[in-house]
Amino acid sequence: MKIDLEKLKGIVGQDNIKNDIADLYVYGSDSSVHNALASVVVRPTTIEQVQAIVRYANAELIPVVARGSGSGMSGQAVPIDGGIVLDFKNMNRIIEIRPADMLCKVEAGLVDDDLNRALKPYGLFYPPLPASSRVATIGGEIANNASGIRSVKYGATRDSVLGMKVVLANGDLVNLGSNTKVEASGYQIDRLMVGSEGTLGIIVEATLLLKPIPKFRCIGRASFDKLEDAGEAISEIIASGASPSMLELMDNIAITAVNTTLNMGLPDVEAIVMFEADGKVKEAVDAEINFMKEICEKHSGSDIETSYDLKERTKLFAGRKKLFAALSRYKEGLSCTSLADDMAVPYSKMAECASKIHEIAKRNNVVMTAYGHCGSGCMHTKILMDPTKKEQWEGAKRAVDEVYDYVRSVGGTTSAEHGIGLSKAPAWKKEKADSLAIIKAIKKALDPNNILNPHKIQDAPDDWITATKLRYPVE
Amino acid sequence: METKNIKSWNDELNVCIRCAYCFEGCPVFKVTGWETDTARGKIILAYGMLTGDLEPSQYIADKLFQCTYCRDCSERCSANVPVVDVLAAARADIVEAGFASDTHKGMAKNVKATGNIFGDKEIKAPVQQGEIPVYIGCQYLARPNQTKMYLKILEKLGVKPLVKDEICCGYPLYALGFRKELAEHKKKFLEIFPEKEIVALCPTCAAYIHEEYGKDVKHITQSILEHLPEKNLGLKATYHDPCDLSRVMGITEEPREILKKLGIEIVEMPKNRKTSHCCGGGGGILMSDVNLSDDIAILRIKQAIETGAPLLITPCPTCEQVLKKAATVVNEKGNGTIQVKNLSDIVWKALRS
Ligand SMILES: Cc1cc2nc3c(=O)[nH]c(=O)nc-3n(C[C@H](O)[C@H](O)[C@H](O)COP(=O)(O)OP(=O)(O)OC[C@H]3O[C@@H](n4cnc5c(N)ncnc54)[C@H](O)[C@@H]3O)c2cc1C
Ligand code: SF4
Ligand code: SF4
Repeated sequence: MKIDLEKLKGIVGQDNIKNDIADLYVYGSDSSVHNALASVVVRPTTIEQVQAIVRYANAELIPVVARGSGSGMSGQAVPIDGGIVLDFKNMNRIIEIRPADMLCKVEAGLVDDDLNRALKPYGLFYPPLPASSRVATIGGEIANNASGIRSVKYGATRDSVLGMKVVLANGDLVNLGSNTKVEASGYQIDRLMVGSEGTLGIIVEATLLLKPIPKFRCIGRASFDKLEDAGEAISEIIASGASPSMLELMDNIAITAVNTTLNMGLPDVEAIVMFEADGKVKEAVDAEINFMKEICEKHSGSDIETSYDLKERTKLFAGRKKLFAALSRYKEGLSCTSLADDMAVPYSKMAECASKIHEIAKRNNVVMTAYGHCGSGCMHTKILMDPTKKEQWEGAKRAVDEVYDYVRSVGGTTSAEHGIGLSKAPAWKKEKADSLAIIKAIKKALDPNNILNPHKIQDAPDDWITATKLRYPVE
Repeated sequence: METKNIKSWNDELNVCIRCAYCFEGCPVFKVTGWETDTARGKIILAYGMLTGDLEPSQYIADKLFQCTYCRDCSERCSANVPVVDVLAAARADIVEAGFASDTHKGMAKNVKATGNIFGDKEIKAPVQQGEIPVYIGCQYLARPNQTKMYLKILEKLGVKPLVKDEICCGYPLYALGFRKELAEHKKKFLEIFPEKEIVALCPTCAAYIHEEYGKDVKHITQSILEHLPEKNLGLKATYHDPCDLSRVMGITEEPREILKKLGIEIVEMPKNRKTSHCCGGGGGILMSDVNLSDDIAILRIKQAIETGAPLLITPCPTCEQVLKKAATVVNEKGNGTIQVKNLSDIVWKALRS
């Protein structure tokens, strides 16, 4: 692929271009198992620069992969066909905050936590809050429809995006959405852009819906000797009309991981459920918490602790918060890989899903845990394995297939919040088999030359293991 | 390229989940904004060299040396990766592959020839008999007045410092990747300091002697606090935590207690204690990329100015040096009037009052 570096330098300036092999190697990776080399990394600072780069790429048929912080777990930002990586870190301004309209306008490269820090003095926050909010950019979150522990109450990114400015594949700039909470009929292209992983357009600015920071927040934690009981408690909490602001599950492997590696002292039970309520009126929060507590008790939940105190809350949630670190160090020689890491199933299937994951792991000789934002039906896992061994990858591949076969069989979905990219694409394509033709037609209509993050999602290779070089040296 | 040092950290390279959490506070990334300059970027480079995907190059060497070893990344790492240990191993391998700069090589030669990083035979410890072994370190030795002040402070507080004809602790050899030279040097150091307990003046030396030689090291601020009487200087200041003192040694409260005991009102910068922002002077960066160091220091001094305090106090000679320089630049541009002082100046002033 021939790329005119002088042309790109003319657009963004010499200081905003990198093409040393070392940089290309670094920008060829994210938090997934994949690795591919970009041809050049370009860092625009204005919308006009983005337009000029995309226009040039479209004319020369060069792939363009937008990139926030590269924290995606499925290889979404890995430049599988090389080309231009468009690094958004220098487009990170807050354009305006309008408390009266409960909205703000920001550039795509702004980091979520930086936005929330700026909103705090207004008593407002931007709710999607993925665990990675300290690094994830607003553009990356929109492109992945990110969500997090509070999405059970506040929704995913799609529920918090009112509109956006998007550079299309031909370099044109379009304004999508509105400044209002509702918009009725007519194709809502902004909603289509949410979750499109940079394959339909490049998001340069976004208009985001804000919420008031709740005055009271109370967290609870319950232990369950049986995973099924925890699953039933979760199902009933949701079905009862309670309004948790967080509802999380940790299985025994997750519990053991934090206990053995970080000495957390969590109860050694089959499952822990964490629940939270928030609001403006303390009595209302009390009522929600007591209600959820009673449901947990009814389903044999024990050792239930609740607290409003920030220190106590942090302590009660610490095990969940430190889970990544713990899983990474579960056992010497095992690495924590982002595979089959995310799915959603109907509420009534949460416990069954966790049990299936354990069964599948055992059968395929890998370690898998189950935890997640059960309040939004989202289940996470990680495959812990020796990534240098070929047979472990074979086991992992079977495990991934089996997990998603199960998820489809109960009417769940492959992508709850961690995107599709490359690793989850084969399963997602099976899930969406009957709408793939429409999906491909939409891609063709918006990106006829297939330059925007090509060969991802519906166009990704059918075998994720060989889709790119794996980032681990496999023997 | 031989990657024996990196190889010994293979498991840690696999433990890194490439989550990017280490971007959040990396001072180098704050200045450059490029992912290659973050801990994750450098870990990927090390991994690339280990797997053979990347050949060592001057560019990669430069990237590895553009790091202050501040350990903000390790502090925030979601997988507890000891990033600096991995990077130090990568530096060692790339140095062995022939990519050490002339300045770095010169420093290693200096340590061997004169026992200090400056290659100056005149820089000598003020040897004296006493009871508690005190390690001064190259940076303070090059500032004889401050060294004298610290020793006088100890004496005034009833501590009898034993000062030996010391040599560099070896940290610069470690930080800049001279492993062979370090192995020899460590033997010499241990001959001079066989004791288990040492009081160290410089935070970096304190941390290194503790970690590398397994000694019980007290930082001078801890010794001072034990004996310090209350005074009332009536000052307002912000305190800058040296990375090695806060993140490595976990010493964040003792210096603050000292300031409080002396009647100094502390106005904290938002980034303090274990999440303190690096001054820009560590990890050998002053010898690798002084402009980058200056830019980082300017970020920190601006944070100090935002507190409204007229004075920044720190117990580290390197932090003091780079932040003083940054203060001059920022103050000259009319954006502040902040002064930077070493803790010794303040304690000595109080004890004389
Ligand atoms: C430890 C960890 C925890 C995580 N926790 C969560 C969680 O709780 N919830 C959750 O939803 N996710 C989570 N993630 C996944 C990830 O952080 C999110 O998907 C996040 O939204 C990605 O943002 P980013 O800026 O890093 O995007 P990148 O990884 O850089 O990019 C991801 C995708 O978005 C596209 N993209 C980026 N910017 C733009 C743009 N301006 N225009 C168009 N497309 C763009 C890219 O092309 C790519 O396809 C987690 C990841 C890690 C490593
Ligand atoms: S924070 Fe730790 S695990 Fe995450 S990318 Fe950085 S070094 Fe790796
Ligand atoms: S040690 Fe400091 S400068 Fe070096 S990578 Fe980590 S955070 Fe950045």
